[in-house]
Amino acid sequence: MELQKVLELLDAKQFNLECPRCVKEINYAFVCDLMSDALMMLKKMPSHIGAHGALVTGLVTNQALRTAEILDLETIIFVRGKTPTMYRASGLLFQEGVKSYESVLEEE
Amino acid sequence: MESTITTYNIERNDIGNAGTVASLTKRALKRQGLSREFVKTVTIGVYEAEINVVIHSYGGEVTVEKADDYIEIIFKDVGPGIESIENAMTEGWSTASKYAIENGFGAGMGLPNIKAVSDEMDLHSSKEGTTLRIRFYITEDCYER
Ligand SMILES: Nc1ncnc2c1ncn2[C@@H]1O[C@H](COP(=O)(O)OP(=O)(O)OP(=O)(O)O)[C@@H](O)[C@H]1O
Ligand SMILES: [Mg+2]
Repeated sequence: MELQKVLELLDAKQFNLECPRCVKEINYAFVCDLMSDALMMLKKMPSHIGAHGALVTGLVTNQALRTAEILDLETIIFVRGKTPTMYRASGLLFQEGVKSYESVLEEE
Repeated sequence: MESTITTYNIERNDIGNAGTVASLTKRALKRQGLSREFVKTVTIGVYEAEINVVIHSYGGEVTVEKADDYIEIIFKDVGPGIESIENAMTEGWSTASKYAIENGFGAGMGLPNIKAVSDEMDLHSSKEGTTLRIRFYITEDCYER
């Protein structure tokens, strides 16, 4: 799904607007508020796919950025204290064809 | 190539800077042409261990040794130590504080994940402190093609 569409769908704001080399599309997402969950589950994700993944989290901290950096994920969707809620945001993304990380791993 | 040794300090509860060692290690390994997969594996281990020193210990020191055929990272902190290593190594077991949980830690998955990603791991602990040594073997296929 194109990043631009994600922004519209979730009524989200992009923070790093000037990033010509950033991915423009996300293919899968992983939702968590505990970083070790992502570090445990996503470690087997091949890096070339990893770049097209998004970390969906309510944790608006440096550590969410670090976790994404370490996992080679280029997109973080912060959903704390806003509409849509994390559950709804995930549902909307899923509906639009953004896959879960497990289905991406299975396909590989 | 010779081996290089880098040392860092880790401050207790300094969650804002936690992950610096992992991030710097990641960059250094990438510069040496190591593959993204390998670098990711190493930095997951470094990051989890680094966070543990920040959130569970009174502070400590890390040394990162990069040799031709391995990278070894040793984390040494000054207490309070781990009461039961067996419990600590169990998935889901955690004594993380509210502060740590609010910052995204405390799933009890860090040490089991460190074990899973590393080639060698030993963990020793007493009231005076905890030492964790992890080693990753560098083989030809750890380099970017
Ligand atoms: N350096 C340390 N000093 C003291 N206790 C530690 C240290 N590292 C780990 N522990 C203890 O071992 C437990 C398990 O550690 P582990 O990294 O597996 O999980 P966690 O840090 O609690 O949560 P997570 O890593 O999933 O965020 C910790 O909750 C803590 O009690
Ligand atoms: Mg931990």
